Amino acid sequence: MKKLLMVYAVLIATFMLFLYVYAFREDTNRTEDAMYGGLHGDIGEKYVMVNFQSGIDYWKSCLKGFEDASASLNVSVEYRGATQYDANEERTVLEQVIAKKPAGIAVSAINPDALVVSINKAVEAGIPVVLFDSGAPKSKAYSFLGTDNYNAGVKAANQMAELMGGSGKAAVITLPGQLNHQERTRGFQDTIRTLYPDIQVIAVEDGKGDQLVSGSVAKRLLGEYPDLTGIFATEANGGVGVGNAVKEAGRLPKVKIIGFDTDKGTLDMVKSGIISATLAQGTWNMGYWSLMQLFHLKHGIVQQVADWQGSGMPLVPTYVDTGITVVTRQNVDSYYAK
Amino acid sequence: MRNNKSGVYGILDKFQRAAWFQLNNWPIRYKLIMHFLLISILPAICLGVLIAWATDNIIEKQVNDHTSQLIGNVNKSLEFYAGNLQNMTYFISFNPQIKRFLSSDVKQPESEVYDMKKFLQGFTTLYTEVAGILVVNAKGEYLSNEMYARSSRSLTEENWYKEAVEEKGIFKLIGHPSNRNVTTHVNYKDEDVVSVVRAILDPETQKVEGVVLIDLKLRVIAETVKDVRLGKSGYLTVIDDQGDSIYTPVHPIVSKLERAWIDEHPSGEFSKDIGGKQVQFIFRKSPFTNWTTVGVFSTKETVMEVREIRLYIICFIFVVCLLGIAASTYLSYTISKPIWQLMSFMRRAEDGNLSIRFKDVRQDEVGMLGRSFNAMLLQITKLIGLVEEEQRKKREAELRSLQAHIKPHFLYNTLDTIQWLSRKSGAHEVTEVVESLSRLFRIGLSKGNEIIPLEEEIAHIESYLKIQKTRYRDKLHYSLDIDPMLEGLYVLKVILQPIVENAIYHGIKERRGPGHIAIQAYLADERIQLEISDNGVGMSTEVLHQLRKSLGTYPQKSGMPSSQQPAPSLILPGDSQEELDTAKGYGIKNVQERIQLTYGASYGVHIDSEPGKGTKVTIYHPVIKRREAGRA
Repeated sequence: MKKLLMVYAVLIATFMLFLYVYAFREDTNRTEDAMYGGLHGDIGEKYVMVNFQSGIDYWKSCLKGFEDASASLNVSVEYRGATQYDANEERTVLEQVIAKKPAGIAVSAINPDALVVSINKAVEAGIPVVLFDSGAPKSKAYSFLGTDNYNAGVKAANQMAELMGGSGKAAVITLPGQLNHQERTRGFQDTIRTLYPDIQVIAVEDGKGDQLVSGSVAKRLLGEYPDLTGIFATEANGGVGVGNAVKEAGRLPKVKIIGFDTDKGTLDMVKSGIISATLAQGTWNMGYWSLMQLFHLKHGIVQQVADWQGSGMPLVPTYVDTGITVVTRQNVDSYYAK
Repeated sequence: MRNNKSGVYGILDKFQRAAWFQLNNWPIRYKLIMHFLLISILPAICLGVLIAWATDNIIEKQVNDHTSQLIGNVNKSLEFYAGNLQNMTYFISFNPQIKRFLSSDVKQPESEVYDMKKFLQGFTTLYTEVAGILVVNAKGEYLSNEMYARSSRSLTEENWYKEAVEEKGIFKLIGHPSNRNVTTHVNYKDEDVVSVVRAILDPETQKVEGVVLIDLKLRVIAETVKDVRLGKSGYLTVIDDQGDSIYTPVHPIVSKLERAWIDEHPSGEFSKDIGGKQVQFIFRKSPFTNWTTVGVFSTKETVMEVREIRLYIICFIFVVCLLGIAASTYLSYTISKPIWQLMSFMRRAEDGNLSIRFKDVRQDEVGMLGRSFNAMLLQITKLIGLVEEEQRKKREAELRSLQAHIKPHFLYNTLDTIQWLSRKSGAHEVTEVVESLSRLFRIGLSKGNEIIPLEEEIAHIESYLKIQKTRYRDKLHYSLDIDPMLEGLYVLKVILQPIVENAIYHGIKERRGPGHIAIQAYLADERIQLEISDNGVGMSTEVLHQLRKSLGTYPQKSGMPSSQQPAPSLILPGDSQEELDTAKGYGIKNVQERIQLTYGASYGVHIDSEPGKGTKVTIYHPVIKRREAGRA
């Protein structure tokens, strides 16, 4: 009997040893997994970036940020959007994206209201949504990442006042329906009105976000106001259009132009002196941190709050200012791609 | 002795002598345990090993097949992307404005450039995997939304341009771009993109009009390829036809794939030892993209399933071992235990405890054995009882015979006294008779010895005859004729006297006139023959027959003493004729019995008689040379 017990003890010990070795080997494998480090998602997770006018160069930097974040998190990304400046089309695209149940959506809203219903629907369905570049404050999106557009307007106004020597007539070519452009315009107008009483903002026009439209608007304005010395275009295509119009009208260098964003055309014009200054947004940051936030929301790597879905507490920073810098001829070289 | 045995033989000898080697010397319990273990655990282990081996093979094959399929699918999606890009290059070249840009020598107006840029933008709007499109004409002028030349150096001197020209209008993937004079506005680095080029030819002149360059985001390929994970640490990697990596994951097992490994085969598999790790490679080349997708995984950790199956098998074997050991121990215990018990009972019986009994009601062989054992013990006890009884009887008989010897001894002493008294008083006849009688007793006793020298037996019978002669005077004559050859031989004592007595009382006494008894002793047929013949009345045929019969019926061999044994010798002589007849035979029978008991049936007494002519009794006695030899 004793012998039998001993045999049993030896057997069980061997088995335990085997299990231990087995589990241990499993562990070493896991540590190998852990080698990939920190935040590590699944390549099957798909995060979607949705915007409007999806072909324009401006988004490419945002998308680059989005893609770079996806590479470091090991997840997939997709870029979708309305091809035109069309709120209905963007809503349709967003609805299509939601129907596919992606891991998260980063949306740039064409206007503050058009996408609220769709965004809320996505959030209620458990799909994390953040807004970038252009927000929709009435929606349930978790966060907004973008330029403080009012501040951008303020910066543009200060720059403009400096360029105009503190007095003269200025015009704004913008996208009146879009919140970020409205704020830029408001920041610009408020600053001029309060700080530079000698400067008059004589017109706020709709450039439709298109180079040619903006150009013709600028042409008209130049014709109407011969003493116009400053034009602030609140978006990139507008700046290039305005530049071309001013150049064609032969009003350079009297008319100072402040553009927006750092696309190739704008940068070239800054370099050649057609556009006096442009405002560079942290577009890469928008894309990068949008995906970071979406990833955190998707994986619940957020503040430990019981029932975080319903608590109403901010789970991620609700507002991220991605910064704004003034690009002039002096520093334009550093904005070209290397 | 052992020391003399050298080396090998000694070891072999020891080996053969080793107790464990000799299966027959094993206790039955161990034999049974061994047997049960052999038939339970050994097949389990064999089965386990077989299953493990089979699953290993099958799963390895399946993994290879599966991986090959995955690679095929990945290749398909890569081809799909490449196909899309190819279509794009065609589509771009079909555009009339682009055509004009490529062929005409005059610079395009601004609005037309804007249109063309819009047109190109359309592609990146729809195909987000495109990082940039660049159209270059033969003069080195270019058109692009995303890309621009770093320096003023003509783009037609670029490597990719030349490669496209070389291909003569065939679409070409050139992998990661390097040292290009082209950069993208959105900072896509060389390793982030894969370039494709196609030269646009004039269909008539076959002159190169320009080249379309499209950068594909590597992310798209990476996502397709990354999605496939082989086992724990396996992965897919894509290399171009130069062996340069298109896509390699972050922590690859193999940092650089040698082009020579893959060689010219369109697909295949091989394994290599890399850093002490056996690594399996499965590859497939896409004829369209000219890229080779390679699956790389460690053979050791092929798949989790194998390990899992192994775990289950080992668990199974372990359980079988536990159950097998328990079952075999229990079974062997149930079989060997009663045998042990029986054995211990037998040991105790061996040690003399015959009252022990095997108490078990079991019906199996052991139970039967136990019952047989009990029956055997019963029988033995019974036999021992019988032997004891016999021994007791024998002892009693010995005591009786001792007593019978004591009385004549006293008589013999008394006779000696009488002899001296009669000699003193001069009664010679009395002296002589008493002396004879005294000698008769002395020899008859002979210190209790059963076998005496023949001379003494003769002296004994002579003394007897002398006494009888004194009584019967002239009526009795006798003669003794002893062969001198017989000197020194031994015979049973007092074998002559009863026969002589018979001859006197039944032969001579009944006869009228003097009778004669002749005693002869001689050797014949290796036997001593003692012949006692008288010329008395003899006996009738019936009487002789009866006498012979009574001598013959006596069991010739002394068997086991038993209660059924007849004891005719215990009948004492009496007065009646019948008793007389019996008495007549008594002396002879006594002699017969003694001789036959001592020497066997081939010796004994033979009687011949004729009425009126006398009787002749012959005693056949073996030749006994030494007292000791004849001692029964």
